[in-house]
Amino acid sequence: MRARHVLIAAAVLLVAVILQTSLFTRIRPFDVAPALTALVVVGFARHFPAETAMLLGFGAGLLQDLLAVSPLGLWALVMTTVAYATVRFRGRLEEDFGLMTPFVFAVTFGGLFLFAVLGTIFGEKTLADGGVVKKLLVPAIYNAVLSVAVLPLTAWTVGASRRPGTEFRL
Amino acid sequence: MWRPGGIDRSTSLLIGLIVLSLTLLTVDLRASGAGVGATLREGVQGVLSPVQRAVSTATKPFATFVESLSDLFSVNADNNRLRERVLELEQEVAQLQSLENRVREFEALLGVAIPAGLETITAEVLAVGVSEFDHIRVISKGRNDGIGVGMPVVDEGGLVGRVVSVTATTAHVRLVVDPTETVAVRVERTGETGWLSGRGSGPMILELLNTDAAVLAGDILVTADGKYPSGIAVATVVRAARSEVGFSLRTEATPTAALSRIDLVYVLVYTQDSPGITVDDGSGRIPVVVPEDSGDRTSGESEEEPVTTTTTTP
Repeated sequence: MRARHVLIAAAVLLVAVILQTSLFTRIRPFDVAPALTALVVVGFARHFPAETAMLLGFGAGLLQDLLAVSPLGLWALVMTTVAYATVRFRGRLEEDFGLMTPFVFAVTFGGLFLFAVLGTIFGEKTLADGGVVKKLLVPAIYNAVLSVAVLPLTAWTVGASRRPGTEFRL
Repeated sequence: MWRPGGIDRSTSLLIGLIVLSLTLLTVDLRASGAGVGATLREGVQGVLSPVQRAVSTATKPFATFVESLSDLFSVNADNNRLRERVLELEQEVAQLQSLENRVREFEALLGVAIPAGLETITAEVLAVGVSEFDHIRVISKGRNDGIGVGMPVVDEGGLVGRVVSVTATTAHVRLVVDPTETVAVRVERTGETGWLSGRGSGPMILELLNTDAAVLAGDILVTADGKYPSGIAVATVVRAARSEVGFSLRTEATPTAALSRIDLVYVLVYTQDSPGITVDDGSGRIPVVVPEDSGDRTSGESEEEPVTTTTTTP
């Protein structure tokens, strides 16, 4: 892994956060947008060393926190957990790539659920939202569908290539 | 066979980052929207808002195309529904003109002033919140344009929300449907007052203390005295209210503003002139007027927390 790869990944995550907050202002099928940043975090966590992947997740979450009005650190914690879950399961996912889409669905749903619970604990009343089930399920479905395009794209941006059975290195 | 690699180190790092996140959360909550967190937020938002503006502008044709595709499916049904609606509205207009005079008389009796003559600032919606749970819109005007924390934001339909944070060039508007938002309202038809609470994407909850009040489907709810100027349309009652255990009258209402598709909004340059405390946080921002009784049950907003002084006698 080179510093260049980390810089590229950071830049792509920045673009993802900007797209999350601008492109999806109006493109919102069923009034819900994908959780693009979480998907890109999963994409990079598949290829980077565990520590780097988690620091990238933490950084992406912190950037989201700085653009939100929720307490600082909430998204950082969630995205770190998303990256950690991906790091833990990526070996199994590489052995059976068919698990990737269900995994993306599960990790997105889990991340958003974690955010909802923590948000409620920290006074954001997130679970009081009338459409909480829809807001947890639909972005997870969108992410599962988008993963078919986004995951190869994130791998391509950092030049990741790996043969089955080898270690996770760029 | 899958063999986990570097689990110990990564788990240690996970714990470290969780502790760091919780520390940040605690520090930010204790600072109540000020301090280092606020400075960092302002800096990042100041840097990224031009990029967000550029992306919003560049992707607008694409977004419009996608929107028109989704609209195509419902256009026939909408057309028939709208034709019927036009006929209904033509009849209602005639009735409303005669009712309008009566409404003005009632409003004068109630001492309620419609917010006419208030200066407005037109702003474009640049960005949305970072998640579906963030009921936030980022608008293209900020402190340099005269916008301050607490100012009401409306569109042609009615109340959109209020400004909760301001940078030099942008402002964050928390939508009225946010679960932390509560608005003091009045039923326009009867004058009964109560409060309206946001529930995210679900319908808002209207509660009236007078359990004998008649609230019907279609009743318009307008802002009452409080943190917003009186008389701004907020929501329409979905169905007639029912009494719950005799303590309050409770029903659901939907916002009158087109919250899911707002492009342009108007910020009302409004500071409450009813009894209140003017707070200057020393940051150079526009002073915020904290109402003594704003009808707001929200917690966690620094600019609205009362100051308590305790004196201990030895």
